Amino acid sequence: MRRATTFLSTLLLAVMLLAVPGALSPAQAQNPIQADGQNPIQADGQNPMGARPTADSVNEEFLFKQESKIRGRVSIPDGKSANLIQPQGREYQNFRERWLPWIGALTILGMLAALGAFFLFRGRIMMEHSQESGKKILRFNAFERFTHWMTAVCFIILSLSGLNYIFGKRLLMPLIGPEAFGAIAQWAKYSHVYLAWPFMLGVAFMFVLWIRDNIPNKVDWAWIKAGGGFIGKGHPHAARFNAGQKGVFWMVAGFGAAMGVTGLMMLFPFALTDINGMQVMQVIHSVIGIIFIAGILAHIYIGTLGMEGAYDAMGSGKVDLAWARAHHDLWVEQEQARTASGPQLKGHPAPAE
Amino acid sequence: MKAFLAAVIAAIALGVLAMFALTSNQKFAYQAFATSGARVSEPGTNLVGPRWNGDPKPDEYNGEPHGKAEGEASHPKRS
Repeated sequence: MRRATTFLSTLLLAVMLLAVPGALSPAQAQNPIQADGQNPIQADGQNPMGARPTADSVNEEFLFKQESKIRGRVSIPDGKSANLIQPQGREYQNFRERWLPWIGALTILGMLAALGAFFLFRGRIMMEHSQESGKKILRFNAFERFTHWMTAVCFIILSLSGLNYIFGKRLLMPLIGPEAFGAIAQWAKYSHVYLAWPFMLGVAFMFVLWIRDNIPNKVDWAWIKAGGGFIGKGHPHAARFNAGQKGVFWMVAGFGAAMGVTGLMMLFPFALTDINGMQVMQVIHSVIGIIFIAGILAHIYIGTLGMEGAYDAMGSGKVDLAWARAHHDLWVEQEQARTASGPQLKGHPAPAE
Repeated sequence: MKAFLAAVIAAIALGVLAMFALTSNQKFAYQAFATSGARVSEPGTNLVGPRWNGDPKPDEYNGEPHGKAEGEASHPKRS
């Protein structure tokens, strides 16, 4: 019995001697205390004793404190390839893949819904016939129509190919398959890059042609207060272009210039901006492009379905005199005074709608 | 209608013009971003020799014009 007690006591002591240092050692490894009682881990997190080998290793957070990018060294001439991590690229990707499709869909579908609601509420704005009905007045000459249509054709193709950048892989590719989508997307990209040039030329032509008639004035303010004719009775006065049309003109001029500049920045990469700059350009280009498309949808609506007689201005170039008198009375007076002999006014009957 | 057709033709023509203008100065990526090749020996020679045995002799190249580069020899780099 005594031998057994002695054996058990010895065994317990041995276990304690082995277990206690083992239990304490992880804590010492985590936070070793020196012989003088000082903690070797300094306040800045650096550990000169090397007790935590990874504490001194280079990590992403440490590198970003030194510079905004993480870069290495390369021997090839293109030094940009040395960039390993560019943090803004993550923000750009987040915008491009998450926010942009929603912004685009809500803006464009919202505009289509608004136009549909307006059409259901107001219907087509019909021509008001008068004694002058049937007579024609030249509203846009051949070069003005040529410029308008060149810009418009390019804009439609640029819009569709631009929307393909955002929605193609989400909407089109599941329908037609990756091979067909790849071919379409490639041709869309070509058309986007090459038709941008006649579009920019068209915007420049339109700006020169029509800026004289698009300077805002007091008549425009009265037109806006009258809601373009929806508020109160009768049509508000308007010269060659009313305030709404002037808004479209300045939108096309401003957005067209912005799209051209940002597009050129991307068409000639690294010519004037670095990768951050090009990402910013792409964000501006896409957001303005979406708003541009929504604005032009409204322009197309009011120029075709929304108003009887409006399309003739860009179709044949000649509009019904009664329509012109109703919507652009100041311009008609000006034209009639300018061409008092009447070469503008011809008695052709109005074509059947 | 004439103005519309003329506009479409002009847009296509200008687009084709832009295509030629843009592609005339284009380089492939391997051309634009490649290094100048490392020259490890004089023009017209290689490291393994015409017999591909890794033991070229200077006089071996006389009868092997294949791949002989023209132009002046580069100056060996001293280091």
